[in-house]
Amino acid sequence: MKRLWFLLLAFCLVLPLATSALAAGDGPPKDMLKGVFTSFDSQARTVVFVKDGTSETLVLTLGEKMTPADVTMNKKVMVSLDKNADGNVMKDISIMFMDMTASKIIALLVVGLIGGLLSGFIGSGGAFVLTPAMMSLGAPGAVAVASNMCHKFPKAMVGAYKRWKYGQVDIKLGLVMAVTAIIGVQIGIKIQKYILHTFGNAGSNLYVSFVFMVVLVLVGGYVLYDAYKLAKGGGETKVSRLAMRMQKINLWPMMEFKVAKVRISAWITIPVGLLTGMLAATIAVGGFIGVPGMIYVIGASAVVASATELIIAFAMGAYGSIQWGLSGLIDIRMTLLILATSLVGVQLGALGTTYVKDYMIKLVMASTMLIVAVSRGALVPGYLADVGLRSALDPALAHTLGQVSFWALVTALASAGIIIGIAMTKGMLAASKETAPRTSAEAVNHG
Amino acid sequence: MKLSQFDKSMVAMAFAEAGEPDTAREFLGGSTGPQKSHSPLTKKKPVLSMLIFGAISISGYVALVSNEDLIMDKFTMGSWYTVLPVGAALIFSFVHGAFSSDLLSVLGLAAKK
Repeated sequence: MKRLWFLLLAFCLVLPLATSALAAGDGPPKDMLKGVFTSFDSQARTVVFVKDGTSETLVLTLGEKMTPADVTMNKKVMVSLDKNADGNVMKDISIMFMDMTASKIIALLVVGLIGGLLSGFIGSGGAFVLTPAMMSLGAPGAVAVASNMCHKFPKAMVGAYKRWKYGQVDIKLGLVMAVTAIIGVQIGIKIQKYILHTFGNAGSNLYVSFVFMVVLVLVGGYVLYDAYKLAKGGGETKVSRLAMRMQKINLWPMMEFKVAKVRISAWITIPVGLLTGMLAATIAVGGFIGVPGMIYVIGASAVVASATELIIAFAMGAYGSIQWGLSGLIDIRMTLLILATSLVGVQLGALGTTYVKDYMIKLVMASTMLIVAVSRGALVPGYLADVGLRSALDPALAHTLGQVSFWALVTALASAGIIIGIAMTKGMLAASKETAPRTSAEAVNHG
Repeated sequence: MKLSQFDKSMVAMAFAEAGEPDTAREFLGGSTGPQKSHSPLTKKKPVLSMLIFGAISISGYVALVSNEDLIMDKFTMGSWYTVLPVGAALIFSFVHGAFSSDLLSVLGLAAKK
């Protein structure tokens, strides 16, 4: 107990420290202006812009490629300025907060439900499809990331609480991982920034997709192989050989994780946490490293690993939400709409884990990771062309690849939802069959 | 004949040893074991709690929609105003999370024991 308090304290200390020390290198883009256009001079191609939260006004000029139709008056907009041009020349305008229509609301509710279900079941997921989904509904990238982040941490909190009640969460392991993951996020952001500055936007996109592909194919492939082996062997889970070897390393400080039933050196948990954070900063889904890391390197079961991941998601999500919130980019309407269904989904997914065997969780995780890898892989040729490593893509091919990418994401979500649904229903039916004869037998005995 | 508590306990023990636990239980406190087991413990479904949390949750949404402009203006001011969206998401999660939990219980979906 004392150790737990110590860890909690350490967590509380590290969080603001890391925030203040690295605040300059984190969060939303700084060369972006937020505010409202108040008047437009079509002859001079200039607009008067009032900065958000202040009465400061600026006169901005429309960029060469922009048309007067791009300017929307009296609505909050985000403006990115052209750094290469003299004066305040605009490069891009996006309306910060889209108008909600019935179809957009329904889309958000559906994606929220399945994202929640996945999150409750495998500990992560949803983020990789929620952000693109919000962007395709018309939200600017930064707003989509911010709103998703703000929905992620309360959802993870509710999921973690539920699974803690089922005795699946190792709070200590979660906190240790969370602290290192937050540091990992900072390292990940530094790498991202370096690549962005050195190779530009296209290089950055290529890097993200490359990491996405490599990690998802390797880890997803291994998890799938393991799930297949377990399913064939009757579903009995054994601690991996790698984890057994890691647990034998007796290097100070040794940590004991009671729920995960693991005693392991902190030096083993640190790299797993760091990589989780780094991946979260790169592809927005740290759980794709965190959960397999806890299973195969630390030696926790899939149930405990996926439940503990929710603590990490909560800590990272809360930290990220504050960062994005400081820039005023959270669209609370989108956040709350997604939460409406994802809170149901996350609890449904959490209780689903009590009905299925360990390998089922691995199977869902692996299939999701592999299909998402296809989605990302479809974008790689386009990015290769952008950085000049191959000739430009034929527009028809580019369109097809875009469609493949989008539908692969939809398939990933739908297939995960279906697998979880079937596994849960089967488990529930088997459980009710088990209890039915027992209660009647009890009644006979007593009668 | 009036039995003292000691007598009752001894009689109960005798019956219990003879393989008659229900009779033993009757002597001890009149608790009727068999009847209890006929009606296995069924948890009361949290219908009222679901309705209350549901009502709070819905009124939250109504407030959001009806004050959309004001909320979107204040919640996106940045700096200390960050407390508003983050706090709203947190409070909403407690209320709507409790509603969802009750909803699943009412629907009969519970974790395997």
